[in-house]
Amino acid sequence: MADQTISSERFAVLVEQAGLKLTPEQFAELHDGYRFVQRMQRVVRRARDRAAEPAHIFVHPRAERP
Amino acid sequence: MDPTQLTIAEASRAIADGSLSPVALTEAYLDRIAALDGELHSYVLVLRDQAIDAARSLAGRPRQGALHGIPIGLKDIYKTRGIRTTAGSRRYLDHTPDQDAETWVRLRGAGAILLGKQETHEFAIGGPDFTLPFAPSRNPWNTAHYPAGSSSGTAVAVAAGLCAAGMGSDTGGSIRGPAAYCGIVGLKPTYGRVSRRGVFPLSYTLDHCGPLTRTVEDCAIMMAALAGYDPQDPASADVPVPDYRVALTSRLDGIRIGVIRHFHEHDAVAAFGPDSAPSAAYTAAFDAACHTLEALGARLVDVKLSPLIDYLDANRLIMLAEAYALHEQDFRERPQDFGHHMFARIALGAFLTAADYVEAMRQRRELCVEFARALDGIDVMVSANSTGPAPPIDAIPTYSTFERASYTGPYNLTGSPALSVPIGFEGGLPLAFQIAGKPFDEAGVMRVGHAFEQATDYHRQRPPIAAPLPGRS
Repeated sequence: MADQTISSERFAVLVEQAGLKLTPEQFAELHDGYRFVQRMQRVVRRARDRAAEPAHIFVHPRAERP
Repeated sequence: MDPTQLTIAEASRAIADGSLSPVALTEAYLDRIAALDGELHSYVLVLRDQAIDAARSLAGRPRQGALHGIPIGLKDIYKTRGIRTTAGSRRYLDHTPDQDAETWVRLRGAGAILLGKQETHEFAIGGPDFTLPFAPSRNPWNTAHYPAGSSSGTAVAVAAGLCAAGMGSDTGGSIRGPAAYCGIVGLKPTYGRVSRRGVFPLSYTLDHCGPLTRTVEDCAIMMAALAGYDPQDPASADVPVPDYRVALTSRLDGIRIGVIRHFHEHDAVAAFGPDSAPSAAYTAAFDAACHTLEALGARLVDVKLSPLIDYLDANRLIMLAEAYALHEQDFRERPQDFGHHMFARIALGAFLTAADYVEAMRQRRELCVEFARALDGIDVMVSANSTGPAPPIDAIPTYSTFERASYTGPYNLTGSPALSVPIGFEGGLPLAFQIAGKPFDEAGVMRVGHAFEQATDYHRQRPPIAAPLPGRS
C-alpha cells in the first residue's frame, strides 16, 4: 500500500524539471501514481555499510575454449 | 488427426517418420489462425505466404535441427528482417528492421517456421491498452478475461493452438505471468543464457528472452536451439549448454526443493493489502503441488527470505529508471505516440533520482547474495505465481503493475532461471507455480517441472477453443 504525500504544486515542479508536457488528465494520473515512486524509494533506501556495493556486473565464468 | 494438437516432440517424430509434412502442419496452424484469431487477437501480423514457402523449402530435406518444420510465433518486439516489427506502439507502427533478432536466427537455423508476429503490451509494459493500434489479446479459456502480459499474444496463441510455441520476453514476469493465466509453460532463463540482441529493450539489466510452450519437454527442445553465447549481446554469458532433454526424468529422488511460502502466505497482504491475498483454491493447489513433488521423491524444506516487497520494489524501481532513460527523449518530444498505460507507467521514472537507482542496485546485490545462500544445499526453489485466476480484461487498472503483489519479479532481480508450470484450475481458469534454480541450471528447473507434469494432467487440459476445427479431428 502506498499513500499520497506530495502536493500538486510540488509535483508540478517535478514535472517541469523532467521536461514533460502533460495534459491535465496525465498530470492527475501521474500525481496519483507518484505514491508508488515514494513507496519504492522507502523500500530501497535504508542504512547500509559503505562497502555494500551495487549489483553492477553481470559477467559469468567463461567456458574453456579449445 | 489434427496435427496442431501435437506437442513439438510429437510433431517432430511425425515429421521424422514421414507421417506429417511441414507444409501440412503449417497450413493447419494457418487455418486455425484464420478461423479463431478474430476472437483472440493473438497475432498482429500473419505471414501466410512466407510460412508456406518456408515449409515447402524444408519438405523432404534432411532434418535441419531440433525444430525442423515446427511453426512458431514471435512477440512483436523481436526484430525480423524485412518484416514489420512494431513493439506494439504507434511509435514504430511502420518500422521494418534490416536485421533479425539473434534468437530468431537460431530458431530458424534449427528448422522453425515463422507463422507471424504476436501481440505485445506496448514496449513490453503498456497493456492491456485499448487505445493502441492492436486490440489486446484475449484469454483462450474465457475471452472476457485477461491473459496477462506483456507476452500476451504469444501465450494466447500457444494455449489456443495457433502456434506450436513462441518467444516472449520477461522483465518482471512477462513470460511467466501469461503462461500462468493461459495454462501453459513459460521459462525465463538465467540472465545471459539466451541472447537479447535484436529485441526491443525495456530494462537492460532485467530483460530476459525465453520460450512459451505447451509442455516442459517442448520448452527443453526450444532451449536446445536458443541457449548459448552471443558475443554481440553485452550481457551474454559464455557458459556450456547441456542437453536439456537428457535431464528430463519422471522421478525426483534425492532432489532437495526449497519452498518459499511466506511470499504468498504473509508478505503479499502485509505489503499490498487484502486484495493481494491468494484465493483458497490457489493455496490448496499450491500445497497439493508440493505434495506431488514429495510423492515423486523430492525432499521439501521451507525457506525464509527477505519480504517479497524488498525484491519487488527494487525490481520495479530499476525497471522504471532504465525504461525511462530509454524513452525520455520520445516522452518529451512526441508523447502523443504512446498509449495511455505505457506513458502513465514509465513516465513515473522521471521522478526517480540517481541515488534511488544506486540504492536499488545495492539492494539488488544484497538480495542476490541472500538468494544464492538460500540455494546452498538446495537444488531448486518453488514459489507462487499469480495467486488466483485471470481477472476480467476490463478490470486491469493503470497502475496494476505497482499496486498488487507479483511473484515473478524476484527472479528477474536475481537473474535466476524460473519456470511457470500449471498446477490446477479455479472457475475454469488455470493456476500455476514457479520453479526457480541456480544460475544456468535451466536443466534442473525443467527436470522438476517435467517430473511434475508426468505425475499430473494439468498441462494436457486445453481450453475449449483449442479443440480441432470442424472436420479436422
